[in-house]
Amino acid sequence: MEQANSVRPDGEPKAGILAHLEGLEAQMSRPCKRSKELQQARAEESALGTKIHELRRLRDKLRAEVNQQRARGKASSANVESGQTVEIGEQEVLERKQESVKAILQAYRFTGLSGKQTSRGVCVCISTAFEGNLLDSYFVDLVIQRPLWIHHHSIPVFIPLEKIAAKYLQTDVQRFLFSLCESLNAYAGRKYQADRLQSDFAAFLIRPLQRNSLCNLLSFTYKVDLMGQSSFCARLLYKDLTATLPTDATVTYQGKRKDGHAEKYCHMLHSSA
Amino acid sequence: MLTGFNITDYSKKTEDLTSTEMTEESIKKVLQRHRLSGSCHVVTFQLEFQILEIQNKENLSSVITDLSIVMEPTEYSELSEFVSRAEERRDLFMFFRGLHFFVEWCEYRKRTFKYFKDKYPDMVHLPKGACSLCMGIRSTSRPGFELVIVWRIQIDEEGKVSPVLDLLTKIPQRALELDKNRVIETAPLSFRTLLGVLGIEAAVECLIRLLHAGNE
Repeated sequence: MEQANSVRPDGEPKAGILAHLEGLEAQMSRPCKRSKELQQARAEESALGTKIHELRRLRDKLRAEVNQQRARGKASSANVESGQTVEIGEQEVLERKQESVKAILQAYRFTGLSGKQTSRGVCVCISTAFEGNLLDSYFVDLVIQRPLWIHHHSIPVFIPLEKIAAKYLQTDVQRFLFSLCESLNAYAGRKYQADRLQSDFAAFLIRPLQRNSLCNLLSFTYKVDLMGQSSFCARLLYKDLTATLPTDATVTYQGKRKDGHAEKYCHMLHSSA
Repeated sequence: MLTGFNITDYSKKTEDLTSTEMTEESIKKVLQRHRLSGSCHVVTFQLEFQILEIQNKENLSSVITDLSIVMEPTEYSELSEFVSRAEERRDLFMFFRGLHFFVEWCEYRKRTFKYFKDKYPDMVHLPKGACSLCMGIRSTSRPGFELVIVWRIQIDEEGKVSPVLDLLTKIPQRALELDKNRVIETAPLSFRTLLGVLGIEAAVECLIRLLHAGNE
């Protein structure tokens, strides 16, 4: 067909065909458009999809990194802590060792003789006991010079300290200390026994116990039976100052009637002393 | 250390036994459990003891309520009896004092025997080596004659340590028959007297010289 529509008489039919063609064209293009749109949409979709994938990957990566960081952070802080615990551990061990050494030094008291270093020498502590009862402690402060001398002490005046010192202090300090220890322990034992006699048997003592400061001479009057009338007078002498048992015992009956018991008691005391 | 003791380990546990009634009367009761180990020369000891402390308004009393001692080595038989006594009496200080002197005497005995062994190697014989209780003296020229010195170290009831030396004689029958003056019979007693006069070392030297003189 030639350009039938070039000369356009006012004919509607041409417009009709064109319109129809246009319509058909439109129809044609619409699916194309649609497919184009679809394609575009699809392209966009896939692009978005890829983007989503990428973003997801990035998110996971970042997450992993954060986790790693966190883990590393914890580890390093833990390392810092454990480093400190190691240090603390060592410190604790040293402290414990120091405590145990201090305790051991204190424990020497239980041997009866223990010493503490002083600026000029040593201060010796002598502990006393009798039959499991721990009694007083005494000290002797020695100055280590030639000759050795006693700076001060807490030994009672009636203990023969000078005599023992004259004998052993310069030649054999250990012997001096042990000898002093012996005398002090014996005195403490005698004193303890006298004290107990006074307190525990007060009901049996007619008159209070008489004793000297060294507690090696005791004199007392007692009765055997609380209700009884017969009383005895006892005199105990401890000649050996290193012993806690008497060397001499005298018991006399105080009364008018001769009591066979008195002799028996005298016998017993004499044989056991 | 001061006393010859070396404490290697010590621990203590405290238990408060104060009841409410006691607290009202301001009485305090505490039980201490101590564990101590150490040595004194070649002897080692392990002690476990309990101390009960009662504090009232007037005074403080401390009493050893239990004492258990383990010693090593156990060859010193003289020591085991002493240790049991100390445990019975709960006398901690007597134990240490006694131990100190006992070990000192043991060391002195060992040194003395060794000295004579070194000086007269052919004549002196120590049956158990260095820790011998006995020392035998033999004559090299007159076999069959032997003088044995028995040196015991005693610890008495109070924990005092002292040496006890005795002489035993081993003489052939023939010689005994010839001994009209009964010298052999009176030898142990004479030795004791000699000890008192000359002291341990000189007395032993004297005896050795006796048999030694026989060689010439």
